[in-house]
Amino acid sequence: MKSEVGGRPSYGGPQWAFPAGKRSRVLEIGGSRVGMRGIRLRSFEINAGNIRVPGALALRRAFQSCVLARGAMLKCGMNGSQVKVFGKAIQALSRVSEELWLDPSEKGLALRSINSSSSAYGYVLFSSMFFEHYQWSTSKKINDNGKSVCLNCKLGMKSILPIFRGLNSFERNVEMCKIFTGSDKCKVVIQFFCRHGIKKTHNLCFQESRPVQVNFTKNMCCNTLMIQPRLLAEAMVLFSSNQEEVTLAVSPLNLCLKSSRGESWDLTDSVYSEMLIDPDEFDFFQIGLDTEITFCSKELKGMLIFSEATRVPISIHFDFPGKPVAVSIVDMLLEGNFILSTLADDPSGACSPQSLYLSQGGKRSDWRPSESQAGKRGAPQAPECISRKTVPKRLCPRGSPTKDAAVRDHGHLQTKRADLDDVCEVPRSRVGDTDDEPNSSSPMKLSSLFFGAVSSERRARRAQPCESLARASDSDGD
Amino acid sequence: MPLLTQRIQDESDQYCLVASLDNVRNFSTILKAIHFQDHATCFVTKNGVKVTVENAKCVQANAFIKAGVFQEFLVREEPIIFRINLTVLLDCLSIFGSNPMPGTLTALRMCYQGYGHPLMLFLEEGGVVTVCKINTQEPKETLDFDFCNTNVTSKIILLSEGLREAFSELDMTSEILQITISPDTPYFRLSTFGNAGSSHLDYPKDCDLMEAFHCNQTQVNRYKISLLKPSTKALVLSCKVSIRTDDRGFLSLQYMIKNEDGHVNFVDYYCCPDEDIPQAES
Repeated sequence: MKSEVGGRPSYGGPQWAFPAGKRSRVLEIGGSRVGMRGIRLRSFEINAGNIRVPGALALRRAFQSCVLARGAMLKCGMNGSQVKVFGKAIQALSRVSEELWLDPSEKGLALRSINSSSSAYGYVLFSSMFFEHYQWSTSKKINDNGKSVCLNCKLGMKSILPIFRGLNSFERNVEMCKIFTGSDKCKVVIQFFCRHGIKKTHNLCFQESRPVQVNFTKNMCCNTLMIQPRLLAEAMVLFSSNQEEVTLAVSPLNLCLKSSRGESWDLTDSVYSEMLIDPDEFDFFQIGLDTEITFCSKELKGMLIFSEATRVPISIHFDFPGKPVAVSIVDMLLEGNFILSTLADDPSGACSPQSLYLSQGGKRSDWRPSESQAGKRGAPQAPECISRKTVPKRLCPRGSPTKDAAVRDHGHLQTKRADLDDVCEVPRSRVGDTDDEPNSSSPMKLSSLFFGAVSSERRARRAQPCESLARASDSDGD
Repeated sequence: MPLLTQRIQDESDQYCLVASLDNVRNFSTILKAIHFQDHATCFVTKNGVKVTVENAKCVQANAFIKAGVFQEFLVREEPIIFRINLTVLLDCLSIFGSNPMPGTLTALRMCYQGYGHPLMLFLEEGGVVTVCKINTQEPKETLDFDFCNTNVTSKIILLSEGLREAFSELDMTSEILQITISPDTPYFRLSTFGNAGSSHLDYPKDCDLMEAFHCNQTQVNRYKISLLKPSTKALVLSCKVSIRTDDRGFLSLQYMIKNEDGHVNFVDYYCCPDEDIPQAES
């Protein structure tokens, strides 16, 4: 499995906080396995030459770490209507990205997704009470270490989405759905017990990858709205599907949903739509700051689908342009949050048509450390000529995200725009990268230039294989 | 049957096949069930019509339309064998559109003069007549799978509704479809091994949808999924399917299709197992 194995960092070493999680997959002893992309991974003994193993000592250390990781196990079960909601969550998260992290804990099962340009993050937590039965067990040995255990399970949307197809018939046909996985197996087993005694079993291979985590204190936002999803969905229908971005303008008097006047807006050939929604239509309408924010509508639509399925009202938390917007649904049994980046304002007051990355890149051109980003609202933008000539990154990745290393550098979370304290990220492994040389590849240099969030401290740490952006969050709190 | 009959009656001496149908869909629907290749071989005897389609010398589909389905069925000399473009034949049969107005029927009269002559189709709906002449070709040798009852090791009869969803949702990233039939659990299992991982679909022996289950020994056979996927068309149209395997691992799928008049027609698919060395997959 070239991309996975080639990108495997050296074993051992102090930079790895959780060495165990990384290695157990490679050290599957015996047997053959089909990897994530259908490439046959021959047993370790035979194919050791293809795996970058620095030496026997490191190997033994790695194997020991592997043993430690054993014992973390997830077992949960859902009935037909619960699995329909679960499937809808996966469908909603598929709007965010092509990858999904399965992150179980004592609290419940979390699904996480982040897009390639790090401009949208999706998180859905199903509490343990949501399920018919839920069990997340970790071995005592691991718990004694004092570190929280992650399953480190990353699935491709292409693998898991087809399993949850035809959800409307699930209520009728599916009697029970069981999900079972263990950190020692590198496999998620999803079983459907259907009508007539039919049993469907799906064994999905997962990639070991530390789940991304974004903490965003939505309660600290000045503006909070809560609305029934159906109303918002009806409003969104007005916008043509080729409009990727939508602008939300609020004042205490009303909310205006309008087409975003993006780069390509041209008076002659596009439709501009505007819809005013009265505060009475909202379940909750609190505006502390008159503002106008622009963000991708694709993820919002995804959350609307999920919200309609759960029949929980959708709430939107936001501040000023540039600060991420949180679209969430909160219920006793589940919680869903989509954190979406918004276009930053330019000082002239009109919404800047540049993508958020470019504005970042412009600001970063003098390599100022990231702390200066705090309170950056309305800060002078870099000259447009610098940004425009370079990579024309959009706020929303067009179609399928480009796979070049620049955008796949997950280590740079886009939401670090204005309020760094609110947003942090646990280190994420770059298993997808084929090139393991930290400083060599030019796409990486490009990403560091333009994706902002660069500090001298981090540049020093770039010598290590895994980019870590901010302090690792050991807590599961979101 | 208006218009057509009188004019052609006196010419019927020159035809070795004359078949008439009040509702052309009783014929075209069955042919659609085997339409996964452009060309088909037709065998006509006094008992009816058999249309055969093959692919890659590994899979064969046959559609049987009994003489009783036709309002008129005259065969002057048997057997009549010719090869014809099935796509063109189906296009002609549905020339008046595939979604008819309720209450209207398209009538068909099919005539064939013999070797070297085209197949004549007269289609009529609401007074409008279309005449189609489709060139026939030299018949090609068709495979004989030699599937006889004595060698059958297992036989399952399932209601089609149980398999329809399964077949349409088969993981097409898998190259093969593995069929396990066993007297013990899992009894009847369809497995795929795709890019994401493996999927197994188990049907218990006492499943409501299972009408019959006979199995002497456990058999695990693999078939190329690309060859079997076209059988989904027949599955969708059918009400029951019979699955049989023999000691060589050959697969026979027989579909019972009821047409609009209530006549029962059969379509069968034969497929030989995939010869690649199977790798152990969980």
